[in-house]
Amino acid sequence: MNGAATVIRDTRTRTPFRTQLVALVRRGLSDDRRGALLWGTGLGIASAFEVGLFPSIHDSLGTAVAGYPAGIKDAFGITDLGTIEAYLNAEMFSIVLPFALAYCAMRSVANAIAGAEEQGYLDALLAAPVARRTIVAGAFATAAITAAVVLVIDGALTTVGGVIAGDAVRAGNLAAGLAGVWALAMFFAGCATLAAGLVHRAGQVLGVAAAVLGAMYIFDLVGRLSDAVAPLRWVSAFRYYGAPLQSGLDVAGFIVLAAAGALLAAAGAWCLERRDVTG
Amino acid sequence: MSTIAADRIVADHVDAAESVIETDRLTKRYGDARGIEDVSLTVLRGEVFGFLGPNGAGKTTTIRTLLNLLHPTSGSARLFGLDSRRDSLAIRARLGNLPGEFAWDPRRTGREVVSLLAALRGVDGLGRTEALAERFHADLDRPIGHLSRGNRQKIGIIQAFFHAPELLILDEPTGGLDPLMQEAFHELVAQERDRGATVLLSSHDLEEVERLCDRVAIIRDGRLVAVEHVADLTARRFRHATVEFAGAVAPSELRWLAGVRDVVVDGQRVRFGVEATALDSVVKALAHHEIVDLELAPPSLEEIFLALYSDQERSS
Repeated sequence: MNGAATVIRDTRTRTPFRTQLVALVRRGLSDDRRGALLWGTGLGIASAFEVGLFPSIHDSLGTAVAGYPAGIKDAFGITDLGTIEAYLNAEMFSIVLPFALAYCAMRSVANAIAGAEEQGYLDALLAAPVARRTIVAGAFATAAITAAVVLVIDGALTTVGGVIAGDAVRAGNLAAGLAGVWALAMFFAGCATLAAGLVHRAGQVLGVAAAVLGAMYIFDLVGRLSDAVAPLRWVSAFRYYGAPLQSGLDVAGFIVLAAAGALLAAAGAWCLERRDVTG
Repeated sequence: MSTIAADRIVADHVDAAESVIETDRLTKRYGDARGIEDVSLTVLRGEVFGFLGPNGAGKTTTIRTLLNLLHPTSGSARLFGLDSRRDSLAIRARLGNLPGEFAWDPRRTGREVVSLLAALRGVDGLGRTEALAERFHADLDRPIGHLSRGNRQKIGIIQAFFHAPELLILDEPTGGLDPLMQEAFHELVAQERDRGATVLLSSHDLEEVERLCDRVAIIRDGRLVAVEHVADLTARRFRHATVEFAGAVAPSELRWLAGVRDVVVDGQRVRFGVEATALDSVVKALAHHEIVDLELAPPSLEEIFLALYSDQERSS
């Protein structure tokens, strides 16, 4: 160390935002890769199982659905389970996949920001010349890519399950369904980011975001059953999600969810910039 | 792209401003709880500045405020002449920070930590990482969660020093290091000073401060008690005196002298503490007796520290 000088870049030269963002996302994906594989495989196996089961229960489904109360059918959007898309939508894409993927994205954000703060290494990161908003952008982008990876694995296994069973989900519908779930997850990742801008613990962030997720789902459910609440369904993210696997992607809804998620993340960055970081 | 050499801070970085850190009545409160109150200090370029105080005195709060992790309630701080809040990014580009207990995601290795920080700092390669790892016998390839506290702290040292920063902010840096590694760390700090770096070193290891620092600020209950040159602090405080007389001496002769305390008589040998300002009158009083041996020893910084505290206690 006393010998030849190690040449180091001038410390007054600002490292570009993109370079820092790429470094943070790369680190985040490395943190999340195991979780993404596990979530994607787990959800994919469940979807593949449902798809594989469909041909054998197809005939009896019509009778079963006919016996459901009208209110239940309205609430869960069950009009007909005669197609593989409608069946998979009811079994996986109405609640299981949206909740699981939203949790996965919220957890990714919570760990990258509040988890790092809780464990004391956000300090070490912030001793480097990196803006808090860059860290937030990195966490949100990592959650977006992690969620996409989970969905790609899920989609691949679903397709394999369908091919094996001889009744595969149409590729366009599957892509629409996965895109819709992804946008919904990004909305709740945005909620988690905003929470991380306000509170200091990963558990608190997850708790707040999960409460919003549950409340919005229930509100949307009630809105479908009650004429009094129906006009207010617009406040729930699930209103914009709809049933893309069955009905195709609502592009406007997709944009609303993704944009709202990004705006919430930006608000989280704004809050994080203005608060103390606890050690 | 201009560059700096790690073994010397080049001249264009040493600009006209002499102070690297300057705080003006810096105050941080946590609701009703005390943090720091009206802390005003100046750290000059190229000095090793000690920051002494017991746990909870406000050392870490001051450092975290300088790093913009905490936002001041009032007052201001400037580093390199830049505002600690508005210009935080430009400031952090020029410093290295070592917290008391370095923490990181336990799944990551030291090499991954430094790689990320190097990317964020725009440093090509890993700078001085390998040389520092060799010096501290640090394992860069084991996950941080598998390392002992001391070995984790070595990774902390590497990430703080690898990019040869102009300013090093070290908060209780030797916690968990064994004596050999503490020695290596002290040598590194001395070399960094020789390189032209400025060091702010918070510690309650008084020997460490005495050995490494040029000046020292003492903080207590969130307020600065004193800022002194270490040499002045040692010089202006009391001495331990041991006097051996040829014959018996009544302890009362010494006890009533102004500036003398803790008189202990052991046969013809008398030990006592004497304030530097009272030395002349004490020597004149002793001169009435035949003296066989006389020894004056400076106090340890710890004794000075405690004396300073008790003085403050009395005056408040």
